[in-house]
Amino acid sequence: MKSYITCFILTLTVLTSCKDVLEPTPYDIRIDDLTLKTAADAPLVRIGLYSAFRAMTSSVVIAGDFTADNIKHNGTFTSYQEFGTKQITSTNADVATFWAGVYQTNYVANFILERLPNVVSGITSDSRKTLTAEARFLRGLANFYGVYTFGDIPLVTTTDQATNRNIARSPKATVLAAVLADYQAALADLPDDSSTGAAYLSKRVVQAALARYYLYQKNWAQAETYATQVISSGKFTLVPDYNTIVNVNFTAESIFEVGYTQNDDPGTLNTLFVSRREVIPSDQIVIALNSTESGTRVATIAFNVAQQQGNDNGWTVKKYGTAIEGNANIVVFRLAEMYLIRAEARAQLGKLVGANSAVEDLTVLRTRAKAVAVTAAAQADVLLAIERERQYELAFEGHRWYDLVRTGRAQAVMSAFSPNWSSRFEVWPIPQSEILRNPALQGAQNPGY
Amino acid sequence: MRKFYSVIIWSVLLTILPGYLWAQGQRITGRVTSAQDGQTLPGVNIVVKGTTNGVSTDANGAYSIVIPNGNATLVFTSIGLNTQEVAVGNRSVVNVIMQEALNELSQVVVTGYNTTQRKDITGSIASISSEKFKDIPVTSLDQALQGQAAGVQVTQSSGTPGGGLTVRVRGNTSISASNRPLFIVDGVQVQNGSLTTGYGGQNDNALALLNPNDIESIQVLKDASAKAIYGSRAANGVVLITTKRGKANQKTTITADVQRGLTDIVKRPSLLNSTQLLDLQREAVTNAGQDPDKLGLIKGVTDGVNTNWLDMILRKGVYQQYQVSAQGGTDRTRFYLSGNYRDEEGVLLNNRFSRMSGTMTIDHNATAKLSFGSNITVSRAVNKRVLGDNALNGVYSGATRSLPYYAPYNEQGQLYGPSDANYAGFPNFNPVGEAVLPRQNVLTTKMLGGVYVQYEFLPNLRFRSKASIDYNSIIEDIYDPTGTAVGGYDTSVGQQGYGEYNTSLAATFTSTNTLTYNTLINEKHRISALGGVEVIKRTNRSGSTIGKYFPSNDFTYITSAGVVNAGSSALVYSGLFSGFGEVKYDYKEKYLVTATGRYDGSSRFGPNRQFGFFPSGSVAWRISEEEFLSKTSFLNDLKVRASYGFTGNEQIGNFLFLGTWAATTYSGSSGLGPAALANPNLQWERTREANVGIDASFFNGRLSATLDAYDNLTDKLLFNQPIPLTSGFGAVQGNIGKISNKGIELTITTVNIDSKGLRWSTDLNLSRNENKVVELATTEPLFAGYQASGATATNVVLPGQPLGTFWGLKFLGVDPATGNAIYDDKNGDGRITPDDAQVIGNAQPKLFGGFTNRLSYKGFDLSVFFQFSYGNHVMNLTKQTSVNTGSSLNFNQSTDALKRWQKEGDITSVPRYIYENTYNNYLSSRFVEDGSYVRLKNVTLGYNVPKTWVSKVKLSGIRVFASATNIWTFTKYSGPDPELSTLDGSTTAQGIDFNTLPQVKNMMVGLTATF
Repeated sequence: MKSYITCFILTLTVLTSCKDVLEPTPYDIRIDDLTLKTAADAPLVRIGLYSAFRAMTSSVVIAGDFTADNIKHNGTFTSYQEFGTKQITSTNADVATFWAGVYQTNYVANFILERLPNVVSGITSDSRKTLTAEARFLRGLANFYGVYTFGDIPLVTTTDQATNRNIARSPKATVLAAVLADYQAALADLPDDSSTGAAYLSKRVVQAALARYYLYQKNWAQAETYATQVISSGKFTLVPDYNTIVNVNFTAESIFEVGYTQNDDPGTLNTLFVSRREVIPSDQIVIALNSTESGTRVATIAFNVAQQQGNDNGWTVKKYGTAIEGNANIVVFRLAEMYLIRAEARAQLGKLVGANSAVEDLTVLRTRAKAVAVTAAAQADVLLAIERERQYELAFEGHRWYDLVRTGRAQAVMSAFSPNWSSRFEVWPIPQSEILRNPALQGAQNPGY
Repeated sequence: MRKFYSVIIWSVLLTILPGYLWAQGQRITGRVTSAQDGQTLPGVNIVVKGTTNGVSTDANGAYSIVIPNGNATLVFTSIGLNTQEVAVGNRSVVNVIMQEALNELSQVVVTGYNTTQRKDITGSIASISSEKFKDIPVTSLDQALQGQAAGVQVTQSSGTPGGGLTVRVRGNTSISASNRPLFIVDGVQVQNGSLTTGYGGQNDNALALLNPNDIESIQVLKDASAKAIYGSRAANGVVLITTKRGKANQKTTITADVQRGLTDIVKRPSLLNSTQLLDLQREAVTNAGQDPDKLGLIKGVTDGVNTNWLDMILRKGVYQQYQVSAQGGTDRTRFYLSGNYRDEEGVLLNNRFSRMSGTMTIDHNATAKLSFGSNITVSRAVNKRVLGDNALNGVYSGATRSLPYYAPYNEQGQLYGPSDANYAGFPNFNPVGEAVLPRQNVLTTKMLGGVYVQYEFLPNLRFRSKASIDYNSIIEDIYDPTGTAVGGYDTSVGQQGYGEYNTSLAATFTSTNTLTYNTLINEKHRISALGGVEVIKRTNRSGSTIGKYFPSNDFTYITSAGVVNAGSSALVYSGLFSGFGEVKYDYKEKYLVTATGRYDGSSRFGPNRQFGFFPSGSVAWRISEEEFLSKTSFLNDLKVRASYGFTGNEQIGNFLFLGTWAATTYSGSSGLGPAALANPNLQWERTREANVGIDASFFNGRLSATLDAYDNLTDKLLFNQPIPLTSGFGAVQGNIGKISNKGIELTITTVNIDSKGLRWSTDLNLSRNENKVVELATTEPLFAGYQASGATATNVVLPGQPLGTFWGLKFLGVDPATGNAIYDDKNGDGRITPDDAQVIGNAQPKLFGGFTNRLSYKGFDLSVFFQFSYGNHVMNLTKQTSVNTGSSLNFNQSTDALKRWQKEGDITSVPRYIYENTYNNYLSSRFVEDGSYVRLKNVTLGYNVPKTWVSKVKLSGIRVFASATNIWTFTKYSGPDPELSTLDGSTTAQGIDFNTLPQVKNMMVGLTATF
């Protein structure tokens, strides 16, 4: 009150409005309390939701490929040196970036889920259902990545700051149950197909996510069912030339892909792989991709003799170009992965060869890659063939480390790759800064870090 | 309304001043002359003591005044002269000879919104007259403060012309908000700090837009009593700049000033030649068990070329400055006009700072009561910049690192570009190309103007209203052609040229209204009061456009760019709305009391904490006025004073208290994404300040000294407080932590000899400031500066340590048996890890100051000015590249590397060179050095051509002079220059030398002619 009286007196003397000076209109920002108060904001925060999720996709590639045997370090940044030499620490900057991505996606999703019910008019029930489903699915997917990267993680279900700043880890099973609940709710309410292409969600994306979810859960029958639903939907087709996968955005087989334009491309992966060559393909993956089994998928990497010297093998990852080159997007789900999921599920279910078998699915990808045919027939061999096939097909798309850990092969493969490998690297450390800042996380670091 | 005021004030006056009755009296005339040269003195103020009845002398030093009766005493005052009181007696002609003031006691000092005489000051204020820096070729007024005032620490970040400086008044008070003082020119806050960013640590300086030659004097307000009138902006000290104005009844004088000189780098780093480097590299590779021939290090081949890269990019710069000014006045109108052109070539190729400026000031008395005036300064600077140190493609930094095996030009005389087969590739870029090829022009225009009107309602009751604007327009015009790292190497930029065009506008509108009243009751009680309101509105606009994929290097503007994919524009308003007041009281000029306060409202803080009150109080006792000291003839003045109060800091970004969403995009659509969390309780940083001081003057002013001691504590530190990421955010702007500054300052001025035309005077100032982080509300170590190998970062903010603390491993020496570095295993786990890092030094000096001697004899004058800093450390991070113990073969090495360990038993401090081994090169105290220095900042020898000769050419004065700046430095620091800071403007990471361009010396001659 005192302030207002002072303001009044001052205003009288200098003939300028107090409010004018002290409460200037902010441009280019929206005050929190006013966001998503009306239906007009619904499409805006939807973009914010996708944008928040998009920010974590490069982290998934870093986790999935850099933690595993696909890269070696060739630059100057400490955090990538830690991945290259398998000496990952809890102060690694990319570890904190991943963690931040999970919870920034959660924040926007929870914000929408809390505010949207209060927007009473101006929004159709379809739009409301779709946006709610999108928020739940992307929250679920972020937590899915979180839980397979860090193990038990805090399960955030609100935007309340007091709650979220002092929150303990929930068991992995609890988080996965919440992920499944989010997926199922989204499956019910999302449209059959996205009218705006693979950049946005549809039922197909949820089916693809469920196929991956059940694969990780070793629920082979469900994995096969959902993969089949996506494959037989007829909405996606394998592109004939693997070069298209490497060099083009939004291909015919893309199910969900986060979109960048020249205006917002941070070039994170392009900088690491191409501009700075901070990381380069490991000798192992270079050999694998150059094999006859890999075929045209060697297009994933390229060789330049001028760069071959000392530690540098001269190879460069080509999957992430600049936005102007038209391949800056990061693919989250594509059709080839559905074939690989179904193949693995079928192999595990004993459907090894013949019609509707694992080898049949693998053959689809081998044929596209103009590679040699699959010769494996015994279950163990087929499973190893699938592991290799996933490496050829999905290299630098954020799968390798998660695959090796979920199949229990990490210790065997990674120990052979690096003398520094330890089983503690089957999950990432909780960022050290989080343990210092969040009282409920004190003493809750993953073992070995 | 006015009538109503008048009635009230009149009644008050009539009650308290019953003794004053105006009567027609007697007319006194006379002439005032100077004791020094017998010249008549215009513009001297003459007042009948105890009244406000006053006149001033005309151009011929003559005056005429009416006094009430024969017992009157006339008081003669003029800036720079000793005030004289003369009893009229029964004379009708009173001629007076006035002495030049030695002790500055009667000097008029500007104190915020008011003025006072130095002897009546109760706070801590340092004054610097333009005489002290007029012969030093300073670019900006902040540079002029260096070494001139106790408690004011000025560090020039590099030798870049028009470049950034760090100015700190009584230490650093904040971790994340700005620590720069408030700069006020003639009552108006002006832009300071850098105008543009992106030149690798070497910023520019907004104050370089003002011409220091137009300055009459500078006051630095240091304690709460002096500063509290500036409230929430005052915590970092206030620098008040008073510009030159015409004087009443002054004959018009025209002054022309010419200065020309040469600049050169103070010292070059000593680097290896090709053969020395090749031997060293071969040894390093051999030590790593590899064959140097296989790495292409072949004797007689690799070292076939020997390029001294520093010779390729350094030059002697030409410095020139021309100024013409005119000033004068009648009894009703005064004016000052000046025009200035300054041009300074940098010592780096293609680096140049030039400035044109003009000033006009007019004051007019319309009636006895009404006066008004205006001042306008317009200046235009063109800064041709080159990339600084904190960049791989920097010019000086590139030259110090580049391998001597390569040459800048091919056989056809063309520059090698990046990725040329005959040139060392990344991380080396041809520094000559990086200097001469890019266009990096910053064009700035400043308009500083104001108008005021003053009305004297009653004698001694004045209303003054002033409106001013400080308008800065900045255009940054950049093109990096394909021969440069940015335009031709970076794939994400497209390797076909890169253009940027940035514009910004920073305007501050200030409206100030003050009412002042002073009175003397019974010739004992003097009261002066001031009240005012002020509105400050700041507007910041900015825009930028980026273009890539140019058709060729002949097309360098964005019109021709193939892709224009990034652009922005923004507008932000902010402001302050304030009321302030000051009351001073003294009893017989013996006991003095001052109370000051300001009530500030700021747009930068949340509704809960938008307003803040900053009060202060001070007392002083002029012991010398007491009876018991009146007989001590050697003592002229002795004053003790004490002050206590609060000031604030609001220099943070705008709207930080709001929770906000900002525009975001996804796959070509735009929407909203979360940007920041709300903190409605965000508030000012608050500094509690206590100060005690003594001012003493002896032997008729020939020895005067000021001693101050202070104890300041800043709390509610503005800080971007880290929070768990599970909240969806990484940090929230908060007020946490405390910082203390304690210190002592001494200023001594003496006139050692003053007889037979020979005069020798000495100024000495010494300061000590102890800065300490008292408390931080986070348990996380707060790292700052650069990331570094072997320790987390170069700097740390730790409770109990000062800001600017260096962090790293403790280097214990080189093992004579193995040649490897020995580090302190602090945690005793048998391994050397970043956890063994510890505090290894700090950039804050224990003592700093300046020491000036002036001699004058028969027209000759000589001034010798030393400036020094003692006890500060410099982190010589350059050495992590230039004495890198073999961790990389990409960089040339310093001659210090010749002292390396080579065989068992060698006792040295430089570890063994082993290729690709980083252990010996961990960030450690090996890189921390004593940065103490004494610098001969300036020597000037001048000669005033005798009047008899001068008058023959119809001039009134000619002075010729030669001046040398930065010509000699004594230091144990092994780098070229201990005065630097690669992270210009940083508080937490000061004093790091990272291939930073050293200071430049300037040798020049000048001529000043007065008409």
